Amino acid sequence: MAPDLTIVTTAVALPFVAAALAPLLYRVLGERTGYAGAVVAAASFGLLATSVGEYGTVRASWIPALDVGVQFTVDGWGLLFALLASGIGVLVFVYSAAYMHDEEGLARYYAALLAFMGSVLGVALASDLVLIFLFWELTSLCSFVLIGHYTADEESRYSARMAMVVTVGGGLCLLAGALMLAAAARGALGGATFDLTAMIANDEAMRASLRESGLFVPALGLIVVAAAAKSAQVPLHFWLPNAMVAPTPVSAFLHSATMVKVGVYFLGRVRPLLMSPEWVAVVATLGLLTMTVGALLAVAATDTKELLAYSTASHLGLMVAGFGFDVVYGGEAGAFHLLNHALFKAPLFLVAGIVAHEAGSRSLDELGGLWRELPVTAAITAVAALSMAGIPPFNGFYSKELLFEAAYEVAHEAGGLAWLYPAAATFASVLTVVYSLKFLAVFFGERRTPVAEVHRPPIALVGPPAVLAIAAAVVSAAPQVAVDAVVQGAVEATATGEAELSVGLPTHFTPPVAMSAVAVLGGIAAYPLRGRLAAGIRRGVEAPVPVRPSGWYDWVVSTAAATSARFGPAVHDGLLRRYVGWVAAAGSLFALAGFAAAEGSLGIGGLGGLGVPLPVAVVLGVATLAGVAVAIATSHVSGVLTLSILGFMLAIFFILASAPDLALTQLVVETLLLLMFLLVLQRLPSYYSEVRPLAIARDAGVSLLVGATAFVAVLLTIPGPDADPTGVATYYTEQAVPGGGGTNVVNVILVDFRAFDTFGELLVVTIAAIAILVLVTMRTRGEASEAEVEENPLPDGGDSP
Amino acid sequence: MQTTTRVTVPIVLVVAISLFLQGHNLPGGGFIGGVLTAAAFVLIYVAYDLDYLESGVLGREIEPGTSVFEHRTVTAYRRTLLAGLVIVLGSGVAGILVGDPFLTQGYVHLEGIPVYHEVELASALLFDLGVYLVVVGSLLTIVSVVSGE
Repeated sequence: MAPDLTIVTTAVALPFVAAALAPLLYRVLGERTGYAGAVVAAASFGLLATSVGEYGTVRASWIPALDVGVQFTVDGWGLLFALLASGIGVLVFVYSAAYMHDEEGLARYYAALLAFMGSVLGVALASDLVLIFLFWELTSLCSFVLIGHYTADEESRYSARMAMVVTVGGGLCLLAGALMLAAAARGALGGATFDLTAMIANDEAMRASLRESGLFVPALGLIVVAAAAKSAQVPLHFWLPNAMVAPTPVSAFLHSATMVKVGVYFLGRVRPLLMSPEWVAVVATLGLLTMTVGALLAVAATDTKELLAYSTASHLGLMVAGFGFDVVYGGEAGAFHLLNHALFKAPLFLVAGIVAHEAGSRSLDELGGLWRELPVTAAITAVAALSMAGIPPFNGFYSKELLFEAAYEVAHEAGGLAWLYPAAATFASVLTVVYSLKFLAVFFGERRTPVAEVHRPPIALVGPPAVLAIAAAVVSAAPQVAVDAVVQGAVEATATGEAELSVGLPTHFTPPVAMSAVAVLGGIAAYPLRGRLAAGIRRGVEAPVPVRPSGWYDWVVSTAAATSARFGPAVHDGLLRRYVGWVAAAGSLFALAGFAAAEGSLGIGGLGGLGVPLPVAVVLGVATLAGVAVAIATSHVSGVLTLSILGFMLAIFFILASAPDLALTQLVVETLLLLMFLLVLQRLPSYYSEVRPLAIARDAGVSLLVGATAFVAVLLTIPGPDADPTGVATYYTEQAVPGGGGTNVVNVILVDFRAFDTFGELLVVTIAAIAILVLVTMRTRGEASEAEVEENPLPDGGDSP
Repeated sequence: MQTTTRVTVPIVLVVAISLFLQGHNLPGGGFIGGVLTAAAFVLIYVAYDLDYLESGVLGREIEPGTSVFEHRTVTAYRRTLLAGLVIVLGSGVAGILVGDPFLTQGYVHLEGIPVYHEVELASALLFDLGVYLVVVGSLLTIVSVVSGE
């Protein structure tokens, strides 16, 4: 049974509407706006929950010309993600209401958070590539606003910008990849379409079409880059730890449970479409590399949120690796871990927020033995951290075990270098156990440096992580329940073939079980060595720039800023004639390049007959002479006069070529120009000043270029002299009297057939008038402010940290 | 120069208006009429100055010392520009009200009117009037602001 379009659209649109109303709500409710947000999230959750089991696609047309539609597909995978986002959203809003106590800018905060939730629901449910792209970039924008919540803080702004550049840049790769898929769909499905569901349904035809056009590897690469940027995969992982400057609820919601999973989600979505040896090589390797690097960096972390951030990158790597493997277990691992990770990582972030709030520190070295003051929080942490470590029977164990099975199976089949897959997975899991225990040490073990008095957290802070921990415990105790409820549907949607997921504790000894045993025991054994381990990792990280991707990011950004700082004055130097030169030259070059690119499709039609009537030849000859005379005129007066000779000759030419309207216009405009020149002439110096030969050469070059462009354009676009009038021309001529009621075809076209064009031109004229008005009004003002700037030089925009 | 201007400007204005009116059937139209009207005004500027229109033609007192942007004539030109845009938009929206697409034009023939015998009324003329006003308004705004500098 197909889902109801109204229900799905409402579920996605509701958070956006609430976001628009957030400032109003805040004015009425104050800090209780968080609870209103929770109600909205719960409403979306409830609406989506009614669609469980009713899988299908609904579509409303949006841009029919491009076959772009507002299309939502409800299936297990999308629904799992959407339910997670809205469900955790409810808890995060409740938590925010207590956590963001006495903060500034709460209206903006809640608006961004609500819009973010709507965008994630959109990504999860949309199945039109253009729509997915839109929601994808919206999540990046909301994340930018939320990371930069503390606008006065330099570090906060830097991190927000970094997250924006990386994730939005990745989003552009997604757009390029989507266009390639759409181009391939033209061959495979007949007609360009952005319908992802149809593409996946015809995955073999799509793959064949992509391979045929040579776009398979580029499309795969672009989509993987987009997902890697979003999901913090190596080497684009560096923005995620920086994003932790955001308020903790944001970290828990965006940077552990939802936004960073958008990339993983999309990989799972296109997995059936792009599954191939290349996919396995790229995605599985990327995932395991990230899993290992993330775990290493998490072990070296000194801050609770930093540890959780790197651990998030590592677990995202686990999901990506799962989706990378071409075996049934792989998809199961990715889909199931998406749920499990959200259930244990979001509470851990919320716990880190409670600790920071109540104990006043985020440093792992300062915190320890907090279970005495925060017993409930400690219990929550125990469940979540052990689940993160993948210790049986906690829920993280099941999905990690599935990954081990997938890695083992792939290695067993391929042999050789593929054995690195299970080795890397096991190694990363050992480290995972180490850093999980390290986080747990915040609550257990002995007290460290005495922290200030620890307060009891309010129920609104403890409640949300407790709910998540209970959910994690339920999944731990009865994993098959969760699988049957929603995960099975997700597995089916991401699987390349048949997949029946059944999970449970292992009953007999197999190689993957051995891997788990190695991971857990190795982790516990390595825990006492964590200090030396962390020191070693930090030495490696602090090696010269090339191994630190964030160093590359800083280099690119600062170089771009410096280049544009140099480029700006070169082009934009305050001389209007220089601007004209740049605009004319660049415009001509682009036009010529366009003609060159379209070579072959345009025929030269203008060179039919060279027999020019004598009067026309005379008029054009005079015009040419006048043109030369303008160029060599020594004074303004002679220049203006010769220029108008040129103009009037053109008008006569129009008359000879039987175009009275054009001739009239040309005459009138020419007259007006002459009058205007007369008006300003007395202000100008009577003779031209000395000009440098170089400037003359440059101006001559630009003029020749413009002239050549105009010549080529005319040559290529006009029909031959003997060609029949085109269909449009015939239509206009025939319809002018009956359709437009006028015998002047030119005028009828202007005011009737193409009135919309004329309207646009009028707007242009108006804008030009306003622009000149502003230019003249502001001229003195601009100079004044420039002088002020020179007096008090500003810092260089604060672009570099 | 001033004498010539006195003679030519009325002629030019009449020609401009006739060009504008006959535009639908003969060479001419809103744009040409507009430019020609603007040319007539510029001629006045060249021969006299910016204040002449008000003091000499309309016989009003002018307050000296105000900048060119608050100048009454310039404000009037800006209003002309605005009125033109409103007319263009209005004539377009009127089509929607009758159920046609935006900017649809229609026309009616009126017969039996004295002197002219037959007059054609086209809604396109209204649109063209908007074009005319926009052209006149914007050109004169530009000219007067620039020349006022």
